[in-house]
Amino acid sequence: MPHLAALLRVARRLTLDSASAEDLVQETMLLAWRGFPGFQTGTNARAWLFRILFNAFHGANRKARLETPPAEESVRPMLQEAMEIAEALDALSVEQRTVLLLAVVEGFSCQEIAGILDVPIGTVMSRLSRARQELRKSLKPLAKEAYR
Amino acid sequence: MTDDELDQRLRERLLSEEVDTSRVAAAVRSRIRQRRDIPRWAAVSVIAAGILLLALLWPRTPQVCVAAAQDHEREIVNGEPRRWLSDVSEIDSLAEKEGVPVSAIAALATTGYHLERGRLCFLNKQIFLHLVYTRSGGQYSVYLRPLTPDAAFTSSVQGTEKLAYFQTRRVTAVIVSRGANAQAFARAGLHSLTAVAL
Repeated sequence: MPHLAALLRVARRLTLDSASAEDLVQETMLLAWRGFPGFQTGTNARAWLFRILFNAFHGANRKARLETPPAEESVRPMLQEAMEIAEALDALSVEQRTVLLLAVVEGFSCQEIAGILDVPIGTVMSRLSRARQELRKSLKPLAKEAYR
Repeated sequence: MTDDELDQRLRERLLSEEVDTSRVAAAVRSRIRQRRDIPRWAAVSVIAAGILLLALLWPRTPQVCVAAAQDHEREIVNGEPRRWLSDVSEIDSLAEKEGVPVSAIAALATTGYHLERGRLCFLNKQIFLHLVYTRSGGQYSVYLRPLTPDAAFTSSVQGTEKLAYFQTRRVTAVIVSRGANAQAFARAGLHSLTAVAL
């Protein structure tokens, strides 16, 4: 199955849980299979799959929010000495994490990300910029530790 | 740290993670198979039910009519050498002997056609009076016998373009035509027989 690894990698960072990530990718692939007749040949299949993934993710999130009382705003975990880049990434907001993953890890352009997430390209660029700033801030202590 | 350095670290870290897709792939395949199987199973059931219903409801051509069509092909179309009666009075007496109302013979001649010949034959182990009506360029066979109860025969004309059958209060008739007018001949014959109270 094409792009499964990429979808699973991103799903893991979105859900922050392996089992939920697998469920999300499963749902994505089934939705893609069902909606394949509507896919336009010659367009970006990878971007199309990611778009389905994010729609499924947001759909599931909306449902979860309706079913469970809103939790108190979580305090971003303090970075520990041993915190890895992945953990710093997970500490970002979902929106920032998403654009960072799509742009940096999956190699989509801002234009493509705008299409996948259905947001203006300016929003993608500002989220990306903020995500990098946040990540850099989180990683600074680690860098200092490394040189100590 | 520049953007490029940051991106590089992030990319290296995440792409080095092991991603096992086998479980998801298997689950997706299984769910797709399940979804495919249900409609296939349903489709097969619907088709089977349809065939069964069709088989039950499809009007079956009585065996005697099939035999009549074969007889017409053999005796009239292929012209097997047989002894035929061409004298109308001889045919009438043969009909009388077999219990077929003589008036039916004339009544079954469609406009423009005349009785050419007749003989007795066996169709499905039953004796029928085989009559051949002719005009230039066309002919049809009528197989007649006194009424015998047969659920397949009704008082309306049944059959196909080349084979038609019906029954009246007195006779059972099968009409075979090499052209496509058997039903028309049968309808005309039924009308005439009814008119003369047969």
